[in-house]
Amino acid sequence: MSSPILFVIVGKNEPLFEAEIDTYTGTTGGNDLSTRQNYFVLHSALDLVEKSAWTTNSMYLRVVDKVNHQQVSTFLTAGNIKFMLLHGGKGEEVVRSFFNEVYGYYVKLSMNPFYKYDTPITSLAFENRVRAAARSYLS
Amino acid sequence: MSSKSQAAQAGQALWAKMPKANAELFALTYGSLVTELVRDYEDPIEVNAQLDRIGYSIGVRCVDEFLSKADVAGMGLTTQCQNLRDTAEVVAKMGFKMFLGIQAEVGAFSQDQRCFSIYLQDNPLSTFVELPEDDPSGGEDLRRLKYSNLYCGVIRGALEQVNLKVDCNIVRDTLKGDELNEIRVELKEVLADGAGDDYKEE
Repeated sequence: MSSPILFVIVGKNEPLFEAEIDTYTGTTGGNDLSTRQNYFVLHSALDLVEKSAWTTNSMYLRVVDKVNHQQVSTFLTAGNIKFMLLHGGKGEEVVRSFFNEVYGYYVKLSMNPFYKYDTPITSLAFENRVRAAARSYLS
Repeated sequence: MSSKSQAAQAGQALWAKMPKANAELFALTYGSLVTELVRDYEDPIEVNAQLDRIGYSIGVRCVDEFLSKADVAGMGLTTQCQNLRDTAEVVAKMGFKMFLGIQAEVGAFSQDQRCFSIYLQDNPLSTFVELPEDDPSGGEDLRRLKYSNLYCGVIRGALEQVNLKVDCNIVRDTLKGDELNEIRVELKEVLADGAGDDYKEE
């Protein structure tokens, strides 16, 4: 059974986007308990993200936290929005490519005059693109 | 038929001479304008009316610029438009081309030759725009917003200055899922040369 991949976009105060990607089926899945545990792990890594943000001047922060057999990778956008990925040991380059592609979609989304910066993302088009990118890079 | 390609060529030449602006800046500026209007007026129908009014002011000024540039360049405007069909071609092939750089088509002339449609394949104003989904909490229904209603005002304003009173509506919109944008233009009346009563000699 593959460990599902959790991708969360966190703004200043709250999560803006969440997608749980089961790489075998590419849809949401997983039972409730492991989902909640995953969210907990991801959010507790936020402090570590802040810490490692100061150590490097690139946007990709690599792996910031390791819990059991899972790792949290983070990408920090220029506007201080955090893209976080909880995964079971994917290669760094793969995760970097995934983050870069999602960053491209995020920038296009933020050019939409109707989208206000740092608000939850409800666009279905964005969600579909993120899932497609996850399917192609992370499975 | 020859007038069609003449208009297209003239439009191309006029576009080449115009100063250019960054398309993204243009789209983002218009986007901010629309969202501010939405925030201020809240009702999408009212916002449509405001956009039409803004477009009207723009159109009134555009037509002067168009006529002066086209005359200077000697673009065959020595022959006036004989009927609405010619006017439609000029608006779409020369007007839209000159100011926006886009190819617009005309079609769907009505039986009495008083209505026509302008088709826009791509719309520079709506780059990056996605209308937000229906707000279930009952906020403004932005589906009723006509994002590109500025065009309607521009056409109305421009044609009114040459004594053609028209009504314009956006009937198809790519933001709402259609394959192209369609603006329906209806001629209401041909105004008499409007110097007004003040100038009537005794």
